[in-house]
Amino acid sequence: MTTPDVLLDCAPAFYLSIGDDGRVVQANTTLLHRLGVTRETIVGTHVETLLSRAGRLFYQTHVFPLIRMQGHAEEIFLLVETKSGEQFGTLWNFARRTRNEETYIDCVVIEVHERRKYEDALLQAKRQAEAANKLLEKQAAILADQAMELEAQHQQLTDQAAELEERADELQRANAALRDHSELVEQERHAAQEARRIADAANLAKSEFLATMSHELRTPLNAIGGYTDLLAAGIYGPVTPEMSHAYDRIVRAQRHLLGLINDVLNLARIESGRVDYTIATVRFGDVIRELREMIDPQVSTAGIEFRDEADDALMLRVDHEKLVQILLNLLSNAIKFTAHGGMITLRSATLIDRHGFVAIDIADTGRGIPAEKLEAVFEPFVQVRANASAPNLGTGLGLAISRNLARGMGGDLSATSELGKGSAFRLIVPRADDVRP
Amino acid sequence: MNVIERNNVRVSGTGPQTMLFAHGFGCDQNMWRYVAPAFADRYRVVLFDYVGSGQSEKAHYDRDRYASLEGYAQDVLDVVHALDLRNVTFVGHSVSSMIGVLAANREPERFERLILIGPSPRYINDDGYVGGFERADIDGLFEMMDKNFIGWANFLAPAIMKNADRPDLSEELTASFCSTDPIIARNFAEATFYADNRGDLGNVSIPSLILQCSDDMVAPFAVGDYLHSHLPGSTLRVMSANGHCPHMSHPDETIALIEEYLGATDA
Repeated sequence: MTTPDVLLDCAPAFYLSIGDDGRVVQANTTLLHRLGVTRETIVGTHVETLLSRAGRLFYQTHVFPLIRMQGHAEEIFLLVETKSGEQFGTLWNFARRTRNEETYIDCVVIEVHERRKYEDALLQAKRQAEAANKLLEKQAAILADQAMELEAQHQQLTDQAAELEERADELQRANAALRDHSELVEQERHAAQEARRIADAANLAKSEFLATMSHELRTPLNAIGGYTDLLAAGIYGPVTPEMSHAYDRIVRAQRHLLGLINDVLNLARIESGRVDYTIATVRFGDVIRELREMIDPQVSTAGIEFRDEADDALMLRVDHEKLVQILLNLLSNAIKFTAHGGMITLRSATLIDRHGFVAIDIADTGRGIPAEKLEAVFEPFVQVRANASAPNLGTGLGLAISRNLARGMGGDLSATSELGKGSAFRLIVPRADDVRP
Repeated sequence: MNVIERNNVRVSGTGPQTMLFAHGFGCDQNMWRYVAPAFADRYRVVLFDYVGSGQSEKAHYDRDRYASLEGYAQDVLDVVHALDLRNVTFVGHSVSSMIGVLAANREPERFERLILIGPSPRYINDDGYVGGFERADIDGLFEMMDKNFIGWANFLAPAIMKNADRPDLSEELTASFCSTDPIIARNFAEATFYADNRGDLGNVSIPSLILQCSDDMVAPFAVGDYLHSHLPGSTLRVMSANGHCPHMSHPDETIALIEEYLGATDA
């Protein structure tokens, strides 16, 4: 060894020189000691063999081209590997030089424990930062997704809220309308109640008035009738035929007047709801027989044919007396408005559309009722004149009373008519032998 | 986009045929400086840098495109199309060998033959296949790269060096050989060392020359043998040169073997 070589042997750094083919030519003892090899074993081996496999790969792909291209390379980090497998980090400076027409690559190498620690720490920090960055990016992406989702949910909720608000408004409007409506209804109800109260009061006043008046009228009428009877019986002196005729006319007028007053009183009683019904099972044949006893004389006097086509066996659920009153009223009217030679027919009919009820029809061959007056005949005090010259018989309350009584028993009374051919009144009443389907 | 500028394409020489030199991982077209000029008297010589390497325009670097060797093969085809090259003799070092295989398989009509220096279709050992490396070795390389790219070594070139309009910096430009961006280098390294192109070999329809170095730990003999037996129409020449970069360490032998092959295959 030359003097410089001896000096190099003392250096705290590794020194080696390699040929252009990469084979070791020289190495200082510092390196030999560190690697645990003799100079003889290291000289001639490729510099690569001093490195770890990764170090060799890096040397071949990066370091060698660099040295070859620019003639030098500084501070290259390489992992050195000893024969025993120990690895340690080193920093290399390379310089390609020509000596004695031979080209050498001189290498100065220092072990970098401390520096390697820094580098490891630095690299670790860098990797951690990169990992953290990746994690952050990932989390940011997740957060962005979540934010988008939340945004979507928020939008959805906003939409729903708007919808709900709209519905609430709608409901409020509907509620207000209902309130208005119910107020209106309430007002109307109040008004109706008031009107009814007034009407009821008026009706009651009318009924009381009528009852009172009837009573007040009947007392003098009874006096008129009674004293006329006494006069006609000759209690107060002899009666001439002229006088007898006059008494007779007074009594007839008195009775007519009394009939009128009784009708008025009846109607007043019905309208004020003071009528009691005694509902019982009644055989229609019995009712007809009773009626015929009363009307047959009038029918034959009037020269009218009475035809009974009703079912005698019909069983009815009615107030017997009221039914007789209604039918008598209807038959009396029929007789009244049917001319000589005409006919009155009594029929009964099952109702298809009203189970449990039966229809009793009384048809005449009278002059009939104009269609526009057909319903009016059931109004109180309305009467259709038989003819212009005929006397006005009755009060005009009969049909009103009859309809009220029919309805009071759960039935009804209506009329159909054809001018010039006749009228038909239909009384509907409950039947007792109802067989519901 | 101008491919000529993007890939820093340099054309020299004249001739009816073109030799397209593709650099390997870890450097740039400068690595051909001892070999390429030898062919400029008879061939049109085309040099280029892959996007992300050397003096290429790194603004065009696309991480996804260059995540696999297909992206680099597209660079080769882009250069071929930009210059409308035909009858191309493709000369690839190391990983560029497989990039050339991929390019030639995609457009075989453009290529005459492949010259592959230190090729390997797969670096990592596999079941019954010797690539020379375990995955841990590759991870160790990545760590070594990280350490050296951290800031002290010569691998990082200042950004100002890219200023082509500053000719006064030309000396420093030449001094920034093999400088690279750490992230791009890492991606290129992953694309290179995780690649498995064994399946592409059988599709090669043009003749090829395999230059196998002695004592090359990156591409050991077993890999050269594997390639020779799986690459149809291939010629295997074992060089006396050792190491992985014979075109730099032993340019004369490299030139001689290439010329011999060109002479034998030129009709």
